[in-house]
Amino acid sequence: MATRSACRALERRFASAAAAAAAARPSAAEVRSQRNAVFSREQARQRALYPRIEKIEVSMQGPGLDGTLLVMNRGMSTPLSCARHLTEYHVNNSVLALVDGEPWPLHQPLTDSCSMTLLTFKDSDPTLANQAYWRSCAALLGQVLQTAFKDDYTVELLSTPEVPVTSGAFCCDVALDPQLDSWTPSEESLRSLTKGAQQLIHKDLPWEPLEVAPSVALEVFSHSRCKQEEVEEKAAQHPKGRVTLYRCGDHVLLSAGPLVGRTGLCSQYEVTALHSLRQGPWGLHRRAQGLSLPLQLQAHHTVWRKLRQRAEKLVEVSRLEEAAPPSPPDSTPPPTSQ
Amino acid sequence: MRLTLRALISHGRVARKMGLGPESRINMLRNLLTGLVRHERIETTTARADEVRFYAEKLVDYAKRGDTDEKAMKMASFWLTEKDLVPKLFNVLAPRFETHSKGYTRMARLPNRDNLDRAKMAVLEYKGNPFPPLYPVKKDNELTLINQLLRGYREDRAQQLATKA
Repeated sequence: MATRSACRALERRFASAAAAAAAARPSAAEVRSQRNAVFSREQARQRALYPRIEKIEVSMQGPGLDGTLLVMNRGMSTPLSCARHLTEYHVNNSVLALVDGEPWPLHQPLTDSCSMTLLTFKDSDPTLANQAYWRSCAALLGQVLQTAFKDDYTVELLSTPEVPVTSGAFCCDVALDPQLDSWTPSEESLRSLTKGAQQLIHKDLPWEPLEVAPSVALEVFSHSRCKQEEVEEKAAQHPKGRVTLYRCGDHVLLSAGPLVGRTGLCSQYEVTALHSLRQGPWGLHRRAQGLSLPLQLQAHHTVWRKLRQRAEKLVEVSRLEEAAPPSPPDSTPPPTSQ
Repeated sequence: MRLTLRALISHGRVARKMGLGPESRINMLRNLLTGLVRHERIETTTARADEVRFYAEKLVDYAKRGDTDEKAMKMASFWLTEKDLVPKLFNVLAPRFETHSKGYTRMARLPNRDNLDRAKMAVLEYKGNPFPPLYPVKKDNELTLINQLLRGYREDRAQQLATKA
């Protein structure tokens, strides 16, 4: 009798504890809306810093544009609005802006008089544009993975490694729910992920950048301990100690460098593989890989097939900070410092 | 004599008339050929370039026989008015075209001459000359995204073949 009541009491206590745990872990939609709200609030606050319109002078550099002087608004005009003053070609084909030698996302407002160059994929040296494109594709992959799984499973996006373009595929590191540890993706699931990415591309969403103080970033990612550590890491690396957040649609993300202007810039996009790496502090680390080409550089289907086959192989990322050449996949073990 | 129109109508006649007569034509071609051997690339009217082409290639064929050959030396000394080009023909041009069996010259059209006659111009050159090419090869930018991906692919394949072999 006493034991039965004790058992019932224990059951009730465990039930309430489980219910409390389930209630404490917010659903994905709630997390997204909270992050969105904080982002919008911070964006509105930064815009309100310039109540009166002040003018700045932007001098354009580039083929056919040398010395063109544009008079723009401080804190409101972006490199994209400068491109709009030029031609439709510049609007559609510019990937990144180089403001006083510094890579600048297309939607970030200009703060001072400067000299600006618009970068495209077909310049004589498109290295920066290529790197930005690769990072954006990885960010898109992260966004797709975040929204692809059902609400019962948690998805933790880990920091996307900086992979050089010659390695053949961009990667997005992710730690899935422990319930999915034994799950390997079939071709159908990879194809459905690709379809999700293509839908985002079709919507042509802009990647809105926002430079914030680390405290705001920590507030944005208050539900994810992993992301908060990443924020601290990035804040330590940045010279001014600020962190750049990007928002695409309603997904807020963190990125190591500038991203391109819109998702519509990608044309051929495919999620090629999902490899399992070692067990880490956040669960089983997995590496999702993909291949993509921009609208201006489309490949013939024979070429695409060959590149895609190579993109299925695991891309090893050396943990060294120097720009080491891409280590060959599969043949040598990665020199990780973990 | 029969007063036919055959003499006046020139349908199907392939031999060109140049200059004042046949001897004048040969002299003109000789001058052009000397200029071609000296400079290895000349600009003239299309008709003259086309005529000289035949003689230029024949001259190289003779030069390939070697300068000890009596006939080759006579030909060279007749066709080249500046005698310092005879050694150049035998020692530079003949070895250059040793592996070629024919096709030692290249002809390309130019814009019409600026004079009142607006003549059709052409440039004639011996292949293997030191000047920049007449048809420049436009190299694709090695650093574009797709070329970088293909470069990675090629290196990968080379590595795979190396490990397999």
